[in-house]
Amino acid sequence: MNLRLEIRVLAGLLVLLGLFQLAPVATALYFDEPFWPFLSVGLGGVLFGLPLMWYSKPEDRRIRARDGFLVVSLAWILASLYGALPYLTTGALGPVDAFFESVAGFSTTGSTVITAIEAQTHSLLLWRSLTQWLGGMGIIVFTIAILPLLGIGGMQLFKAEMPGPVADKVSPRVAATARRLWLIYVGFTGAEWLALRLAGMSGFDALCHSFTTAASGGFSTRDGSIGAFDSPLIEWIIIFFMLMAGINFVLHFRLLTGRFRAVWEDSELRYFLAVIAVASAVFFFVVPQVQGMEGSIGVREALFNTLTILTTTGYTTSNFEAWPSLAQMIILHLMILGGMSGSTSGGVKSLRALLGFRALRVSFARLIHPHVVRPVKYGGKPVDDKVIGAIWSFFTAYVFIGTFCAAVVAFAGYDLVTSISASLSALSNIGPGLGDIGPTDHFAHFPSYVKFTLCFGMIAGRLEIFTLLVLFQPEFWRR
Amino acid sequence: MKIIIVGGGLVGATLAEKLSGEGHDITLIEGDAVMARELTDQLDAHVIEGNGATADMLRRAGVESAGLLLGTTNSDDANMVVGVLGTQLFNVPQVVVRLRDPSYSEGFSLLHREHPSEYVCVNPDAAAVDRIFSLLEVPGALDVASFMDNDLVVAGFRIAESSDFAGLQVVHVQLLFAGTPTLVVAIRRADNRWVIPSGQDEIIPGDLVYFAIARTDLDNVLSLLGEEREQRQHIMVAGAGRVGLELAKRLEDVDARVVLVEENPDRARKAAEVLKHSLVICGNVTDQTVLEEEEIERVSTFVAASSDNENNLVAGLLAKRLGASRAFALLDNPALVHLIGDVGIDAVISPRLLAIGLILQHIGGRNVHSYAALLEDEVEIMEVDAVSGSKLTSGELANIGLPRGVIVAAMRRGEKLLVPRGGDRVEPGDRVLIISSTESAAKVSEYVGS
Repeated sequence: MNLRLEIRVLAGLLVLLGLFQLAPVATALYFDEPFWPFLSVGLGGVLFGLPLMWYSKPEDRRIRARDGFLVVSLAWILASLYGALPYLTTGALGPVDAFFESVAGFSTTGSTVITAIEAQTHSLLLWRSLTQWLGGMGIIVFTIAILPLLGIGGMQLFKAEMPGPVADKVSPRVAATARRLWLIYVGFTGAEWLALRLAGMSGFDALCHSFTTAASGGFSTRDGSIGAFDSPLIEWIIIFFMLMAGINFVLHFRLLTGRFRAVWEDSELRYFLAVIAVASAVFFFVVPQVQGMEGSIGVREALFNTLTILTTTGYTTSNFEAWPSLAQMIILHLMILGGMSGSTSGGVKSLRALLGFRALRVSFARLIHPHVVRPVKYGGKPVDDKVIGAIWSFFTAYVFIGTFCAAVVAFAGYDLVTSISASLSALSNIGPGLGDIGPTDHFAHFPSYVKFTLCFGMIAGRLEIFTLLVLFQPEFWRR
Repeated sequence: MKIIIVGGGLVGATLAEKLSGEGHDITLIEGDAVMARELTDQLDAHVIEGNGATADMLRRAGVESAGLLLGTTNSDDANMVVGVLGTQLFNVPQVVVRLRDPSYSEGFSLLHREHPSEYVCVNPDAAAVDRIFSLLEVPGALDVASFMDNDLVVAGFRIAESSDFAGLQVVHVQLLFAGTPTLVVAIRRADNRWVIPSGQDEIIPGDLVYFAIARTDLDNVLSLLGEEREQRQHIMVAGAGRVGLELAKRLEDVDARVVLVEENPDRARKAAEVLKHSLVICGNVTDQTVLEEEEIERVSTFVAASSDNENNLVAGLLAKRLGASRAFALLDNPALVHLIGDVGIDAVISPRLLAIGLILQHIGGRNVHSYAALLEDEVEIMEVDAVSGSKLTSGELANIGLPRGVIVAAMRRGEKLLVPRGGDRVEPGDRVLIISSTESAAKVSEYVGS
């Protein structure tokens, strides 16, 4: 393992996050709030990180798969630990809650333990939204540039997706890929800010919400989330940008380079859109019986709630706990499914669901025709058996971790719906759940060990489970 | 005309024989010494031993004065070199080469687009796929070829006792389909005798009868024969080589149900990757359990299309015995081809014979659009353009003295498809379908040439 390089990368991350404290500092100065809590944390990060970077100059710049797993996992843990500091220095939260809130930020989950959001300072709320935006940035690079090289969960499919030199020369490839995708990401954020501003949101609210939409995170500046603004226009804008954040960024890149056909023929995109259509249709027809939401309001509510859950954003406009149980069941399904691969959303991802479904059909064909030769295909090309195997193991791991987390919540005395939805919400990085953690509730009432378990679930889910779990294998540490 | 043929295999030798029979001056270049000696004894042609894919050898064969150069060796590469030398270096007016790999011919045509030489690639495998495809279109047919831009099909059927045609005279068929060019063009009696029929010849059960059928009459003829076209054909193809795979692809396009059986796992895998919804089975087609697993008894046509002749024969027979309604086999061995009618395979497709047909049709001066040799090469059908000054256009059909065994079966003037009678004249510019026995075929060229 290349320990020096890893330390250098992590120290660099620390310095970077330290510099980003300037954003809340500036906000504090603007709104005349105390800026010292952020400035001290920022200075600490930079002063601690810089010398570490300096002294850990690696002789060897190669990163192997093992280094990749370790450095990515540690990066998210370190960022979460560091990101918790401003909550402490401002005195807003205790240590456990601060860590939970920070993990919910960097994992772009959006579960919150803050009971009165509107009572917090602007600078802290900005930092809270910024953690999600930075987490989303990291996730795009992780899923599209790094994950394929590590070969996790079938994502090696994307190995050939982005132009650039061959896989073993990681750094130039990752850097070039990352720059392109970040540009798209920043572009969406800017466009959404402008749109929300024009729709009447304050500049500050617009900024925080564009940060958390692009990252499919879901932190809001209001206790009532998006519903608090009570504006159909704002909801439509958010619907559009949630959809964009849930689509594979490689497809956005193709759109920008004019390859419309390739985008339109992408079967994952078609599947993703089909899921949205079916789920919103069910919501539209099932919910009004209870709620009295007719016509265009119903359409908007159905779309908003489908997208907020499916793209794992987690904004809320209406209390879907009052919806009929069929609608709630579909919400649970959408929680598991998640958005497209290569997007900022979490969950199983459309690609895995689609390929898993196709692999299932092939298994049936093998039972009927014992000698049949039939590869699972994606985009007209055969998918390697290794990819399919990796997808199956991902499902298995998802179920195991999911049941484990749910069991811990249940152990703390919560009911079945709360336990299951809390576990799925953490693992798929959504935010709200059902039961005691519904759209109008918060996570503050959980005991510490449940919070830590959910933190584990959030980071594991964000890192496609295997990146984190592989560190727990004794074999990983064997030389 | 002076013709140089490179490669004295089945295709080269057969062409040499046919073309020298038509009075051409043939030089054949063959690389194998033993074969070259045998060919010298058999053929009325000048045979040279050596590598024909060299400029030196071609020069020795007199390529500068040749009107036609044929590349018919077993190797695509050698044929390609022959083609390049002939067109680029020696400017032979017409060059015909056999290329099995379609991607080669594509690149080759690009190379020759700007060149004065007429240049033709002939692909036996593609021809075989075309032939199988036409056979599948006409159920019950043992042999099919289409003419006149697909408006006319020539197909051979075995006449069953129950068929409505049994006992009819040839003239009755003509009356049944008066006004369309549907008629009987040839009959092979049970004693293997070929007849180019006159009106009073009777159709006897057991005869192999060749009909020319206007596309619009096809369903009527089929129902009189007791055959029926299926809505969705269920076809099993054995062997995922060039022919098998291409056939499966084309069948997918017409939405047939296809089962493709291939023994080699790698090939099977490749086929499964390329094909969209065919069922690809990895197994041995001569293994009864594999065929039964895939319900061979429900298969309407079994096509043995591997490169192994004997295996195709065995697989076809096994498929028939296990209940397949029809079985076709790809067979290039002439000895086996003649055996076929007796053992129960319904139709035989010989890529090499097809290649010969294609090459003959392309040879200049014949104005030939399509050409087909019927099942055992006893009867030839050709679609030609009548040119002014030719014997064919010199008078009424009854009076121009067509040789015995030659008939003008159909005629296209403008858009209309006509049935020529004795009193009709062929005008220059008409397209004519001529059917003749192989012996008379050489004389036919005297009639169509100007």
